[in-house]
Amino acid sequence: MEPHLAYLDAGSGSLIVQAIVAGTAGVVVAAKMYWRRITGMFRRKTPAEQTPAEHTPAEQTPAAATADKD
Amino acid sequence: MTPEPTRPHAEPGSFRDPQTRVFHADGEVLRGLGAQAAQDWKALRTSDFFARAQADGTLTKTDEVDRELPGEPGTWSATLRHEPIPFVSHPYEWSHAMRQDAARLHLRLLQDALAAGFTMKDGSAYNLQWRGAAPEFIDVGSFEPAKPGEPWAGYRQFCQTLLYPLMLQAHLDFDPHPLLRAQIDGVEPAQMRRLLGGTKRLAAGVLKHVHLHDSIQSRNADRSTGAVREQLRDAGFNAELVAAAVRAIAKLVDKLDWAPPATHWGGYRETCSYSADDRAAKQRFVDAALDAAEAKDLVLDLGANDGIFSRQAAAKAGYVVAVEADPAVVDTLYRQLRTEGAKRILPIVMDLADPSPGGGWASTERAGFAARAAKADVALALAVVHHLAIGRNVPLPRIVDWLAGCGRTVVVEFVHADDPMARKLLANKPDGLFPDYHVDTFVRLLGERFDIARRETLPGGSRTLIAGVRRD
Repeated sequence: MEPHLAYLDAGSGSLIVQAIVAGTAGVVVAAKMYWRRITGMFRRKTPAEQTPAEHTPAEQTPAAATADKD
Repeated sequence: MTPEPTRPHAEPGSFRDPQTRVFHADGEVLRGLGAQAAQDWKALRTSDFFARAQADGTLTKTDEVDRELPGEPGTWSATLRHEPIPFVSHPYEWSHAMRQDAARLHLRLLQDALAAGFTMKDGSAYNLQWRGAAPEFIDVGSFEPAKPGEPWAGYRQFCQTLLYPLMLQAHLDFDPHPLLRAQIDGVEPAQMRRLLGGTKRLAAGVLKHVHLHDSIQSRNADRSTGAVREQLRDAGFNAELVAAAVRAIAKLVDKLDWAPPATHWGGYRETCSYSADDRAAKQRFVDAALDAAEAKDLVLDLGANDGIFSRQAAAKAGYVVAVEADPAVVDTLYRQLRTEGAKRILPIVMDLADPSPGGGWASTERAGFAARAAKADVALALAVVHHLAIGRNVPLPRIVDWLAGCGRTVVVEFVHADDPMARKLLANKPDGLFPDYHVDTFVRLLGERFDIARRETLPGGSRTLIAGVRRD
């Protein structure tokens, strides 16, 4: 994956809102993303599945970290 | 012999994107591009999108030049030159219709860019400037080739600096200037949520862009944008959705109209205490003073009202900035100028007794009004000194000092204490509070800083015009 060169903090929540603002198709994408987060919480990750996320905040909780990726 | 070119100096307001930086040199505006930005530029400059935006003047005229810029060797891979903006203004100096048009242009360019396979790195109101009543997108460094499944990074910034201020004015009739002036990054979703509760939740765009935005933002505060980007992409986010979101925002911006209260506008002409003869004499005086001015590339019309003297000055000067404190009056003037396609008069909203301070990092990221006014050649201060001296208690010597910083040539109208307008202001202050308020005192003080070129009392007898040239 290409690195994100964006200089601006786009706001993680704002990115999700943008999907919803896009209309029905966007709401479906957001719903799918939330669903995967929920199901992801009940699934153990193998180390190979874990891609290091850019700019991962140091204070990130372990629960949030596992929910980051399905 | 050609003079040695001055070393380019960095624009204090350009540092947030490390890949690009603006410099000034000998009146030229230059932009350094880092390796990645130079690659993006190469793609941009050959696109039809760029050619169209250059041709219609919506994107600042730009070419590539061979110029050295300050910085460690290898910092800048390319240098661009932009057509300078005659007078830089800030979003807290724009009227509602100006902000709405600026927002429209930002979104229109983004839509065109997306269609051409590009996106924008940001969404700031500070990406826009004005050439008269025409907005212009100045941040050429903002465009980059779009990546598949990548959302528009500037959505939040667009909300905070353009969409929310428009909503405040349109939905609440609340002037967003104080908030924008105090917060360089604009209004936060959480602040908006507190302002737009109750039935205002149902106003156009509020539920999604404000309430939902704030709540999703706080729920995702501990997730990195990189992680969320990836999750969205995995869930099927794509370029069509970015385009659909931008279309929806553009539609919303079109709905966020605000009609300036009619009373303000009609009121100005009615409250003028001078006759047609006075007006004609005043116009002749202003014309003569402008004709005599050595330089008149930039004229400030301080206290411009409906802009009648700005228009008159524009016939003789290069560029006129019409400064007026009443947002409704500026909004009406802007709409008129926009209809006329005027490109040499820029109306701005500002209280002269409380001008825009420097803002942002080190208070220099956004230049204060005084720093920008210092570049003006001529200042018109017509029927404004009494508002400052009586209405705002500013001592006459300080008004003269201030005028000296607003132009080499000044044209001042001094309204005598017995004029109906001055009497109206004086009625709100205790008797004898301003014993020095007299035309002779004012002319004497003005004479300490300026050579008085002409002086004329209008036929009505209660107003004196004075033209002076600053002794440098």
